Amino acid sequence: MSDQASIAPVRSTISLHKLGVFCGLAAAVWLGSAEAPTKLVTEGFSPFLISMGMVMGAFVARWTVPTLLKGTGFLFSDLRQKPHLIVWALLAGMLWAVGNTLTIFAVRNVGLSIAFPLWNTNSLVGLLWGCLLFKELHGSRPRDWAKVVGGASAIVFGAAVLAVATTQQSASAPGRAAVGIVAAVGAGAMFGTMYIPYRKAYISGMNPLSFVTIFTFGEMGAILILGLNFFGGAAPLAAELARARSMLFWPFVGGFCWVIGDLFQQYAAKYIGIGRGIPLSNTNQLWGLAWGALVFGEFTGLAAGSRILIIAGSSIMIAGAVSISLAEPPPKEMENWHAAMHRECDRYGLDAGNVAAVVAGEDPLADHKHPRRWWEVLIMCLAAAVFVWLAAGTRAQHIYVNVPWMIVLIAGTIVPLGLCGSLLWKRTRFS
Amino acid sequence: MKRSQWICILTDVHFWVPVVVLALGTALLMTLR
Repeated sequence: MSDQASIAPVRSTISLHKLGVFCGLAAAVWLGSAEAPTKLVTEGFSPFLISMGMVMGAFVARWTVPTLLKGTGFLFSDLRQKPHLIVWALLAGMLWAVGNTLTIFAVRNVGLSIAFPLWNTNSLVGLLWGCLLFKELHGSRPRDWAKVVGGASAIVFGAAVLAVATTQQSASAPGRAAVGIVAAVGAGAMFGTMYIPYRKAYISGMNPLSFVTIFTFGEMGAILILGLNFFGGAAPLAAELARARSMLFWPFVGGFCWVIGDLFQQYAAKYIGIGRGIPLSNTNQLWGLAWGALVFGEFTGLAAGSRILIIAGSSIMIAGAVSISLAEPPPKEMENWHAAMHRECDRYGLDAGNVAAVVAGEDPLADHKHPRRWWEVLIMCLAAAVFVWLAAGTRAQHIYVNVPWMIVLIAGTIVPLGLCGSLLWKRTRFS
Repeated sequence: MKRSQWICILTDVHFWVPVVVLALGTALLMTLR
């Protein structure tokens, strides 16, 4: 026994709140960076097609990353223990696909300056559902309410300031603008509601890696149905994809980065709830802004007023994130989190002790041996082959890139991956 | 999945809220085309 204890790897003792905050911030870095590869698509391709390319890249990544980290044996065991959650994972994927398509309509009709802040309200929608359905913030002190609600509102307001500063609003017809606004509000509602399945899965003790593996089928299925509908059948859709062959690599890479960010977002939703985790990851706009400004030189010649607005918007967003980070749930709120967990256990016949251990960052399922399978190597090889094949057929894009800043930002993206990934491993073994 | 689990799912408010929002969003998307 003592020998076993001496060779067992040391587990980190970092609090789950801090871990969740780090995951939320790492999610923001990767979700923001996911926008960068899509900026290399300069030719006249439909935004819907670019979104579809990202979903296809995400589909590949959502299978390979969980397989690499945990193995298919673990994933299937986890799913077998909570098969009802497959329904919610599929629902979440479908909500994402419809929400993303609505976002494309919104950006096309009213531009980023109006669309993005409205889209960003998804964190407030998530906060509302977290309070109403999962007892988040219940039993919290007034100052914690102020920190979370104030912080989330500040992030939305900061997003609005940044969007106004960085985009030029095109004069669109009133009817078209109204359609765009409705689409943006709809997208915010879809994304905000998508966090209900996230939270449901994690208070039921599901592993985020299992969740995203199923999520991607809902996402891919819905985007395919939408694509068939939009392009008028399978043949026109295939023709459009073939025409876009030379640029598909970039949205694929974007989709891959998106999955890394989304995984961190899932862990943030698990360990600090959707009310706190989602606003933190919604600061991704700051990173998208950094890539645009520093690497792609998008704001060269920007007026002094706009520069001041950018600094103000970024500062407000950072202040909002800091405010939420400091709002650790008090014991009284944690009791309500546990009550929400017990509701799931009672309703779906889950082992409460087991679920409580997973919710607390333990991983009882990992104690059972899950040998690696030959097809896991095949999945890795297939995923790598898809990326190599797409990269080989990609045409060089003639676009200005500031290489030193690109190196700095790539390093700034890799470092949180390494730090937060290793923290997750040391504290929870990716539970 | 057992029949009883399906009944639990279909009587769960956590199921119907996303379903209704998804239906509304899809309907909105179709009208925007």
